[in-house]
Amino acid sequence: MATVSLRNLVKAYGKTEVLHAISLDVADGEFVVFVGPSGCGKSTTLRMIAGLEEVSAGEIWIGDRAVNHLEPKDRNIAMVFQNYAIYPHMTVRKNIGFGLRTSKLSKPDRNRRIDEVAAILSMTDYLERKPAQLSGGQRQRVAIGRAMVRDPAVFLFDEPLSNLDAQLRTQMRLEIKKLHQRVGTTVIFVTHDQVEAMTMADRIVIMKDGSIQQVGTPAEVFHQPANIFVAQFIGAPSMNMLPARYAGGQISVAGQSIKATLPLPDGSDLTVGIRPDDLLVSAEPALFAGIVSVLEPLGSETLAHIDIGGRDLIATADGRSPPAVGARVHLAADTANLHFFAPTGEAVR
Amino acid sequence: MKYYRNLSISQKQVVWAWTFLALPVLFYVVIRFAPTANAILLSFQKWNLLGAREWVGLDNYVKLYNDPVFWKVFRNTFVYLILGTPASLVISFFIAYHLDKTRFLHSTLRALYFLPFLTSTVAMAWVWRWFYQPVPIGLFNNFIASMGFQQIAFLNSTTNALPAILVPAVWAGLGFQIIIFMAGLRAIPTSYYEAARIDGVSNWTTLWEITLPLLKPTIVFLVVFSSISFLRIFDQVFNMTTNNPGGPLNSTKPLVLMIYQTAFSSFDMGYAAAQTVVLFAVLLTVSLVQLRLMRDR
Repeated sequence: MATVSLRNLVKAYGKTEVLHAISLDVADGEFVVFVGPSGCGKSTTLRMIAGLEEVSAGEIWIGDRAVNHLEPKDRNIAMVFQNYAIYPHMTVRKNIGFGLRTSKLSKPDRNRRIDEVAAILSMTDYLERKPAQLSGGQRQRVAIGRAMVRDPAVFLFDEPLSNLDAQLRTQMRLEIKKLHQRVGTTVIFVTHDQVEAMTMADRIVIMKDGSIQQVGTPAEVFHQPANIFVAQFIGAPSMNMLPARYAGGQISVAGQSIKATLPLPDGSDLTVGIRPDDLLVSAEPALFAGIVSVLEPLGSETLAHIDIGGRDLIATADGRSPPAVGARVHLAADTANLHFFAPTGEAVR
Repeated sequence: MKYYRNLSISQKQVVWAWTFLALPVLFYVVIRFAPTANAILLSFQKWNLLGAREWVGLDNYVKLYNDPVFWKVFRNTFVYLILGTPASLVISFFIAYHLDKTRFLHSTLRALYFLPFLTSTVAMAWVWRWFYQPVPIGLFNNFIASMGFQQIAFLNSTTNALPAILVPAVWAGLGFQIIIFMAGLRAIPTSYYEAARIDGVSNWTTLWEITLPLLKPTIVFLVVFSSISFLRIFDQVFNMTTNNPGGPLNSTKPLVLMIYQTAFSSFDMGYAAAQTVVLFAVLLTVSLVQLRLMRDR
């Protein structure tokens, strides 16, 4: 087990800098998820930690060692790849045992270790099979098994669930989380799926264009997003954003005035954000009013797209008695749940 | 037209399929199958290309079995195969493996290796023939002599001639094999190698346990392909030994050259056809055996 520390990490390909001096401390045993749109640099960061990409500047520390110039094998890490990287011509036992090739364990000890890992992953009955005879989820487990067998200090996962179907993904998500709770090894997990990030992480690192936008617990990044990007990236459907103006202790937004005290100069523009979950369709007059344009029933609730004078907002309506399309409805929101963003995009509280 | 319109969709598809298939079917029947059948038939006959065909039963095969030249030629053909195929595969894999990792002038190097494959075999054979000439003409012997060694009789020696012809044959095929090997190497996902790097296994282990097993389909293809081409070797031999084709003393003569001579120098078409049938049987057997041996267990 070990801590991982990134210190002003830079990655550049020629003159193009793709990672701009990011710093992060991962505690021992922590489950950290890097999330962001494709091309944000999350996989590059992971591959640099693994030693598969050179570090252009800055330092990577694993435990009490700077590992910049260590070979991947000397970093005491294990990695699970998006395509699993399990060898099609080897049995499950050989695949899992491949990581032990360089260990000093005796043959019986190796086999015992493989059996242990297989038991943890409930793969004991499949040890003599070839990958082609396994399902997607089982292949995924073999990949995890190969990583576990060496008992590394840090597990690195590079979008390991994106090749699975939705149902299996949910299941494996849970299994990986349980596994982490059991073995307690530090995990760095990369994904582009914010639901995966929210459900699995102790802390989420949200990245965009090679910079870290926010680091925080799932609750923090959801309830206190640091900027507009984080606010819209985390949570589905995305947060509603409305242009507004702050003057004399009042925020005027979509024809309404809301009392608020913000650390902004008088007369400045700002953006008001409201999560669809916090914007409820109501019969009584409330914050906004508008016409229902589209309904998206989800069962327990219905997402209602409401046109409030040229702006489309997504609100939540009751699942059993949703409003009719074309009806005029009111939208209520607790002002405590509103998010405010300065013109720079940064949150103001 | 009315008849066509009344057909069901699947019947119309059949009509179209056979319309398109008609040409290749015709081609195969007229250009491939009919001559093959004719050759097999001819192998039981005596024919001098002009007169009438005469039924002789198994005479041609008996003659072949008792012909010492045939056995010499048969042996030569297998020597071409047994030396040529492994040598060309090992060399081309070695080059492809390293070329794949080379970034510097990658395309240029690849093109240079492919160039011999585009060159006419006849031209190549004659250039190599010049290389092999004795002093003061031959390139190799001039070099050997200038180093103070005794010159080597490449094409005039019964022991050296066959290997001397095999070398350019192997060299000429390398370009193609390298390209196929490189395509095979490129098809192996890089994450396999990255996983191996993280696991810390040596390059040697990676080569033997990951690269080569995953390259097996490519290797099977190239073994079969290259075996067939060595079993059918002709133009290199014919062009490098034109004044005495297959010589000296039949030491370089492959089966195809013997067939050519029997057919178009001796005009003994039935005997040549019998040899062709033997070659066909050998090619078929070797290919089937290789495919079976190298199939996934």
